Amino acid sequence: MLNKSSVAVLMLVAGLSVPVMANDLEISLQLPKISEGQYHRPYVAVWVEDSSEKSVRLIEIWREKPDWIKDLRRFWRKTGRSDQPLVDARTGATKGPGAYQLRWDGKDDKGAAVPKGTYQLVIEAAREHGGRQLVKQKFNWDGSAISLNVAAGNEIGEVQLSRKAP
Amino acid sequence: MKTVHLFTLSALFAASTALAHTMNVVPSHYVQSKTGGFVTVDLFASNMTFQADKGVGVDGFKVVLPDGTVTKPASAAQGKRKSMADVELPVAGTYRLEMGGQPRYFTSYKVAGEQKRLMGDKQKAAKELPKDATDVVTTQGRNRAVAFVTVNGPTDTVLKTTGQGLEFSFDRHPADIVAGEAVMVTLTLNGKPVEGVKADLSFDGELYRNDPARQHLVTDKAGQFSFTPANAGRYLLEASAEAALKSDKADKIREGFTFSFEAALP
Repeated sequence: MLNKSSVAVLMLVAGLSVPVMANDLEISLQLPKISEGQYHRPYVAVWVEDSSEKSVRLIEIWREKPDWIKDLRRFWRKTGRSDQPLVDARTGATKGPGAYQLRWDGKDDKGAAVPKGTYQLVIEAAREHGGRQLVKQKFNWDGSAISLNVAAGNEIGEVQLSRKAP
Repeated sequence: MKTVHLFTLSALFAASTALAHTMNVVPSHYVQSKTGGFVTVDLFASNMTFQADKGVGVDGFKVVLPDGTVTKPASAAQGKRKSMADVELPVAGTYRLEMGGQPRYFTSYKVAGEQKRLMGDKQKAAKELPKDATDVVTTQGRNRAVAFVTVNGPTDTVLKTTGQGLEFSFDRHPADIVAGEAVMVTLTLNGKPVEGVKADLSFDGELYRNDPARQHLVTDKAGQFSFTPANAGRYLLEASAEAALKSDKADKIREGFTFSFEAALP
């Protein structure tokens, strides 16, 4: 099965450019290097909620065994427990320390563009024998530019949200 | 004990030591993200919330599957300080774990001004009561301890009230109780909302703090009260109520329950 990066590689090889929508919300996420105690790669979920804190779009979930998805408490309650196909479709392998680039195209889980309004990006990370952290960052999704930074915490490093003005 | 109300109950039930304590059903996990697993359930009587004091008989423990089928645990054993039951979770949905449920009868009376009691319903009391007994009241009492475990998506079948005894319902699924969010509780006695019922809400760790920090709640005219769990963690809600009963076995009914649940991290 082709994942996004292998598709990108194929397109580069074929001399095609990867389509990047200028109006997407670009999300830069860091996972910190943790040297204290046992280290297991965190389970991480990234999603977008509307102003009533209802999940509208699951962007990615990095996880392994189903047993421990419940430890992403908010993710499990809001989305995971009731939509297994969606979780499977967005699942990626767990990732170690480093910087990761994600994006949101302004669409909900069904592929429809969401209405203008206030949304929040939610990132939840939980680590076996380690901690849990939840990041919530509100943003206006009204066509204007976005440039927001969330300071690093114990389990989730610095997060940047950016969107270029059209 | 939690309230004057419950203390009275325990005094009247003195013949059964387990009932002198609070009954607890506490699963190892309230939420699971995989079918085909197990939870191990602690069954015990306690004075401090979630501090196991005495293992209780496991015969009265039952499991209600998400489709409403009543089953027994895969295995169970009574211990001195707590009893344990392994509960298999073969399918997704919400399971009900329940302890107790059998009514007990006792008759209180006075002889020459002194309060006495005997275990037994009105018919038994009619045979055994002294001839000079006065103030005779027979009570049908029942205590239940309940918890819910949810595997994957929550379901409602096992939450439905039966219209019998003292029952509770929430304005949200137990798997959706979250720290900092208000929960509205409705208490019904034989299917009707009941006013003035005292309930206690306590949380884990009483052994390790001076102030038990219990919330004392009372139902309003609609049989309701609300509470907001301040922090994520394990909580215990307990309540009891009584009402007149028209029966050839008892003059009144007294019903109590305890309900253990967790408030999740936001």
